[in-house]
Amino acid sequence: MSATELLIELILMPLVAFVVGMMMVLMMRRIAAKLQRRIGPPFFQPLYDIVKLHSKKTQVSHGLIHDIGIVMAMGGYIAAETLLPVPGMNGIAEKGGIITLLYLMMIPSLGLALGVGQCANPNGSIGIARALTAMLAYDIPLVIVVFGVAYAAGTTNLIDIIAVQQAGGFETWGATQMPLLAIAGLIAMHASLGKQPFEIYIAPAEIATGPMVEMGGKYLGGLFVMQCFQLYTTSVLYVCLFLGGGTNWFDFLLKSFLVLAIPMSIAYLFPRYRTEDLLRLMWKWPVMLGLIGVAFVFV
Amino acid sequence: MMLTLLDELLLFSGATLLVALFIGRGLAAGWMVTILYGGQLLALLKMAVLGYEGGTIASSLTLEVMGQALSWRFDALSWFFALITIGSALLSSWFSCGAWERSYIRQGGNIWLFHTAMALNVFTMLILLASGDLLSLFIGWELVSWAGFLLMALAGGVAARAAMRYITYAMAGGMAIFGGLALIYTASGSLQLEAVTTAVEQMSGAKLWLLVILFGGGFGVKMGLMPFHLWQAPAYAETPGPGSAFLGAISSRMGLFAILLVLVKLFGIVKIESLKVPFTLIDARDLLAWIAVFTIILPTFTAMKQNDARHLLAWHGIGQGGYMLLGVVVADAMGGAGGLLHVFNHATYQAALFMAVTAVIYRTGTSDLNKLGGLVVRMPLSFVVLLIGIIGLAGLPPMNGFVSKWLVYRSLLNQGMPLLFLAAVIGTLGTILSVYKLIHNIFLGQLRVEHEHVSEAPWSMMIPMLILSAIIFITGLMPGIPLEWIASVLQTVGLPVPDYTLGGVESSSGSLDMIWVIGVLFAGFGVGALVFYSAGRSKRVHQLDNYAGGHFLSADVRYQYSDNFYAGLMHLIGGWYRGSFLWLERGITSLVEFLSLGMQGLYRRANAEFYLLTTALFVIAWVVI
Amino acid sequence: MGSIKQIPVVEAKRTNPLARVFDDLVRFCRSRSLFILHYCTGCGAIELPPAMTSRFDMERLGIQPMVSPRQADILLITGYVSIKTLKRVILTYEQMGSPKYVIGICSCTVNGGMYWQSYATAKKLDEYMPVDLYIAGCMPRPEAVIAGLQQLMDKIHSGEASSWEDYYRNYDYYLGNQQKLFGEDWQTPTDVISEAKHYDLLSEGTLGDHTRLLEQHQKPLEALEMRLGHEQEEPAK
Repeated sequence: MSATELLIELILMPLVAFVVGMMMVLMMRRIAAKLQRRIGPPFFQPLYDIVKLHSKKTQVSHGLIHDIGIVMAMGGYIAAETLLPVPGMNGIAEKGGIITLLYLMMIPSLGLALGVGQCANPNGSIGIARALTAMLAYDIPLVIVVFGVAYAAGTTNLIDIIAVQQAGGFETWGATQMPLLAIAGLIAMHASLGKQPFEIYIAPAEIATGPMVEMGGKYLGGLFVMQCFQLYTTSVLYVCLFLGGGTNWFDFLLKSFLVLAIPMSIAYLFPRYRTEDLLRLMWKWPVMLGLIGVAFVFV
Repeated sequence: MMLTLLDELLLFSGATLLVALFIGRGLAAGWMVTILYGGQLLALLKMAVLGYEGGTIASSLTLEVMGQALSWRFDALSWFFALITIGSALLSSWFSCGAWERSYIRQGGNIWLFHTAMALNVFTMLILLASGDLLSLFIGWELVSWAGFLLMALAGGVAARAAMRYITYAMAGGMAIFGGLALIYTASGSLQLEAVTTAVEQMSGAKLWLLVILFGGGFGVKMGLMPFHLWQAPAYAETPGPGSAFLGAISSRMGLFAILLVLVKLFGIVKIESLKVPFTLIDARDLLAWIAVFTIILPTFTAMKQNDARHLLAWHGIGQGGYMLLGVVVADAMGGAGGLLHVFNHATYQAALFMAVTAVIYRTGTSDLNKLGGLVVRMPLSFVVLLIGIIGLAGLPPMNGFVSKWLVYRSLLNQGMPLLFLAAVIGTLGTILSVYKLIHNIFLGQLRVEHEHVSEAPWSMMIPMLILSAIIFITGLMPGIPLEWIASVLQTVGLPVPDYTLGGVESSSGSLDMIWVIGVLFAGFGVGALVFYSAGRSKRVHQLDNYAGGHFLSADVRYQYSDNFYAGLMHLIGGWYRGSFLWLERGITSLVEFLSLGMQGLYRRANAEFYLLTTALFVIAWVVI
Repeated sequence: MGSIKQIPVVEAKRTNPLARVFDDLVRFCRSRSLFILHYCTGCGAIELPPAMTSRFDMERLGIQPMVSPRQADILLITGYVSIKTLKRVILTYEQMGSPKYVIGICSCTVNGGMYWQSYATAKKLDEYMPVDLYIAGCMPRPEAVIAGLQQLMDKIHSGEASSWEDYYRNYDYYLGNQQKLFGEDWQTPTDVISEAKHYDLLSEGTLGDHTRLLEQHQKPLEALEMRLGHEQEEPAK
């Protein structure tokens, strides 16, 4: 592959992720509206929100680290997208592999944590403390799942993991080969999205949206952009691990949207767990399923 | 007699000790000692051929004690550990010169004793690293233990109590090692390395088991392996600032060095793997690996509960030691490299972190995490150093800690060890949680009124911190630099060598190229910055202009979240293993006390028939068995 | 200061034809994405849940509730404001990000309503902050609330809803009214004058007798700038 092609891929991959991510945000809000028997926002609503927030006159900053936190929140995901293969574009997926990708996906939230810290608002700090606790909760099943998939495929290279699954059609998909891991992964993915019943760190009525409490204008706008990337990355990663990636764009997008629709449809039917209940739930069921799933992989 | 390069190094080190001993009271003494450490580093670099190509350089000094030849020599393994030792001593000593020294003297500290103790530590560590047979290893080991005690006990009070606890453990460990040596000596009749290797090959399983337990336990005490970890955190944390940076960076790695030398090089991982634990499915290697992961997890979660920055870091020092042992006992190409690389990486970031915390103490007078906050606007450079350090400690890209942990994860994945892998990741997640608490409670959040006039740490402290930060980043970007040394170390101890490049490792089952990863990461940050800064100009506001549900904030009321930081998590796991090791320690103490009381009672009885009876019983038992 | 229309609106000078398109796009997006902060001071708040939920669904207009003032565009005052409440309302208003809009719902915000005779109620909200829109009624039904919001959206799109600038241009007037009510030592944590300078909205009405009075007792509110200096001589014990 020539350098120009690679450069084009590196530019296109985050861009596609952003556009698809906005559509995923729209889908999420539409699903919520349908469940609550509302009409829901218009098609371009996510774009309106982001443009409006970036064009606010007031941009309240609590200091340089506050700014850098938002830059890291956006930038970390932009970087992560280039490690996530999509149909026809592999970017630099082979240079990092899945462990690196999982780590890069932590960078945005940790950058954000720094930024929120400088806001000097205890609501935000409590939010971050809870968000990190939630990360500890859902990453344990997620890591088991990733271990199982990588061990079964014999590689941490996502391109190879996808190739192994596409080799024999539906029968060789991760989800058919390792159904227990797929279920555990879905639960962990739901928790990692931070939606109900796992939204302990947003908790608007309790800690005033936690990390976002002092975010206005482009700061909040950055977080909206980050949310687009987050939805895209999470669902595409799941598709790559369990649903055989995508052979073409239609197939790929269909799978990604469908996968994301599952947690979204569940989310708006539930209230919120307490932190320790979230930990208990995450460390019990998905971990158990995941470990049994890994045991099957070894057999 | 020609002096070899090793002689030069040891003489240089001895000279440093003498300078500290005789003129250590003057204010320029710190600088002189620092320059001499620099000289030691140069002498070490003259031996760089060891690190790049292997081989050995012997010292011309040999002794004969009771028919045993004592010799000292350096190979790649010693060179690698010596590089870290002298490097961290140089930077810690540099840090201590000037401003810190003056404030230490003003607070009644004995700077002469401090410099002497540091120099003594470096000297004894070099002697230990140079040991050419098991007897010189044992002598070096005891010297290092006592030198460490001197540095730890320096501050008196709490520190002296912690040091007493340390020396108790260290002596027990020393006894175990001595027992091991006696066993080996009876089997082989010699303590030379070659003789030991051949003797070990013919040894029976049970005897080898005993040796592994004795050596593993003895060296494990110094490493702070579970369940011998209780002494380490308070002992390191209460040492005066630069001293804890030095101790935290390298001191307990001497245990790993000895384990590498004896268990990995002499015994061989294959031999250890062949020792089965009776009635279970695991072998001695698995046992060591499991000890390693418990050493990762429990101290890490203990660190999360600490409210003192130094104690938090010291607990992490124990936990990170687990990764090194884990990598080494997995012992494939990636694992061995990861474990050893982690020794280097840990030294760099742990020293930087202790220094940053010491800088904060120097300016504010406290390391209590509930009494700080918001210092980023007053001490931005220290913030950057601490940030780089914690990214390294948590093992996240783009710093060096990520590479070594990645290697350890990869080896566990390749070997198909899901539970160990999971445990290692849990340790990393716990680290992320507690280092965020560290940086948040010191540098983020609300700036306290009493800290309004604090300013950045002086340059004499700042420059070593910045050098360390640069090393952390550069070895994260180009892990190939230390991996080249580690390749020769792996060859020396007989472990496989990974296929490394400048940016990471190559492997058919997934490689890592940090130059690409970091390049893309920073490009991402660049794009993010472009989007962010092209939108409207932002306006800085005062920290009291803040959302408080309509409440009017004022400077005299704290608006900061720092205590019981992970309340929800602690609500669940807080009581899981609370004090169970303290309980064990206390149990052993009271058992010993009880036994000694019993013995005392026996002696006091002065009953000749009773003595005769017991002796006779013992003799009969001896004969029968 | 009742009529907002009299205030000269300074148009930004744009020569690039694309810039006009861009400005129009931004105004359109602003009008289609409104985050509301409902300050539920009185009985009018009860009309908001139906306006948001399935019956009337404000989200189809791009309106959604937010939690903290930093995130919000619209401040909904839904009922009478007692003097104690008004302090918080002003604090909240000043913390919101411009362009920001205030909507007074219910008669109480217009003229005190049924609390007209109360000693503890601020009767006219627009004496203390510029109000973009009143939705009168006791209480207005959700239809009326939504109609009002749609009217506001039109105003935003056409660029008329710029009353937030008025707060900076005539800060002295608003501050005077606030001081009359709360006493002379009244101060909010937001440094409005420096913000007016930041937005280039400082005019002759911004500073006056009342701001001078404020400056006499004001606790300093400059942001804590990042300092690199090493000048501290004596370290703490």
